[in-house]
Amino acid sequence: MSQYVFQQIINGLALGSLYALVAIGFSMIYGIVRLINFAHGDLVMIGAFTTLALVGYGVPWPLILMFVLLVGALAGMTIEATVFRPMRGAQQVTGFIATLAVSIVIQNTGLMILSGQPRNFLFPAFMRQRVQIGTVSASLTDLTIIGLTVVLIALLLVIVYRTRLGTAMRATADNLAAARLMGIAVNRTILTAFAIGSALAAAAGLLWGGKFGQIDPLLGFAPGLKAFIACVIGGVGSIGGAMLGGYLLGLAEVLFVGLLPPQFAGYRDVFVFTLLIVILLLKPSGLFVRHVEERA
Amino acid sequence: MAVQMLEVHDLHVFRGATHVLKGISLDVREGEMAALIGANGAGKSTTLQTLSGLLRPRSGTAVFRGTSGPVDLTRAAPERIVGEGLVQSPEGRQIFQSLSVAENLAMGAYLRTDRNEVRRTLERVHDLFPILKERASAAGGTLSGGEQMMLAIGRALLAQPRLLLLDEPSLGLAPQMIERIFDVIATLKQQGTTILLVEQNAAMALDIADRAYVLENGVITLSGTGPELAGNDRVRRAYLGMAQ
Repeated sequence: MSQYVFQQIINGLALGSLYALVAIGFSMIYGIVRLINFAHGDLVMIGAFTTLALVGYGVPWPLILMFVLLVGALAGMTIEATVFRPMRGAQQVTGFIATLAVSIVIQNTGLMILSGQPRNFLFPAFMRQRVQIGTVSASLTDLTIIGLTVVLIALLLVIVYRTRLGTAMRATADNLAAARLMGIAVNRTILTAFAIGSALAAAAGLLWGGKFGQIDPLLGFAPGLKAFIACVIGGVGSIGGAMLGGYLLGLAEVLFVGLLPPQFAGYRDVFVFTLLIVILLLKPSGLFVRHVEERA
Repeated sequence: MAVQMLEVHDLHVFRGATHVLKGISLDVREGEMAALIGANGAGKSTTLQTLSGLLRPRSGTAVFRGTSGPVDLTRAAPERIVGEGLVQSPEGRQIFQSLSVAENLAMGAYLRTDRNEVRRTLERVHDLFPILKERASAAGGTLSGGEQMMLAIGRALLAQPRLLLLDEPSLGLAPQMIERIFDVIATLKQQGTTILLVEQNAAMALDIADRAYVLENGVITLSGTGPELAGNDRVRRAYLGMAQ
């Protein structure tokens, strides 16, 4: 494999990892409360700035990661408990508008406190070196993003599919009324879904800063939108679908740019979104969902 | 003197602006099977949802004799009500379609911490419904309607009910399957489970119930023993499809 193609694939996997981390939480939240949460991307921004602040205080990186996960979880839980919970049972469009409002509040609070000036965000110097693998090489940053994402997703899958709390979360997402009749305190399982999903988004923020080198208070918009698209591609509400949709989207974006003639490179979204339309025409419920039932 | 398991007095429940239950009173005694029969829309499911704490009444009382003492069903949270032993198998089965049969049953035992006891209950459920053991790893949604009904009842049993609420267990099932399900319900009663059975299928319900209530437009219009009601002219005409 040529170094060029390998580099593109690694690039795509790294970008796909970021999308997947955000998309999984997006999908979990939709799955459990049927809420398209446009504030979800802003957790990426919160994670990125939390990281920046802690780096400033000289906190070691493993601790920063723990702390970012915690801040993300607390932020997600706060939003759910104070804004979304009181609206539960209202029309879907009410919740949707509320998520947009929360997103704008977070972004503008960020602008007020932090100013719109982009900040430099750097992983430690050794992260920028390249790792030789046989005849090809990859940046340690990209490999770290991919590796850490795999670990976080594995952890998530264990929680969701192997623990009592995870099963209760899936039961709540599957049939909320029945879950209540089984004695599941559904507000707690919903809170847990927000905590886990938001923690993953915040972790994506840590990695996002490392990959792109600059952060600003409005950076959450792009990952939020991309996560939404990844979910639609993979099948909204499915964790596996969101993950695969994220990787597919990341790879598609990078490969379109990398493999098309250079004059098309600036228009990658044309190709990405054409692909999205084709997928939706062929499989409206998403690529990785076998069947979809609309819950009343 | 039989002990009251459930006492409901003058319960009024609204759904939005609609006055669905207009002051119903009923009771269920320990060890008996009571039935609540009535046409579609009479308020049967509303009654059960209120007892499970999913709906709040406008006025009236509903007291359940739970594991730790009397529980005010008009105030207690649904999870507390389940924990105290009032467990419902809801209308339309409402199993978790995407969870495996084993996970569905595990969710029934969600509030229980005594693993050995839970395993014993699971064995009992497997004895009642061997198919649930055979298909333990199948997704709930792949079961047939009858199997899903068995799963719904099995799941409720795993919560160790002192009082089991069964909402329309015959709904949408083939006659043979209905008979099997009612056999199981009769067995449960023999084994000492107190049951409140809600049914449109009045003939089957009156056949196995000790006592029954007739609910019409949110009001209880008749009550008595199963045989009394089965012999009542009005019941025969309206619910048992017998011309006079």
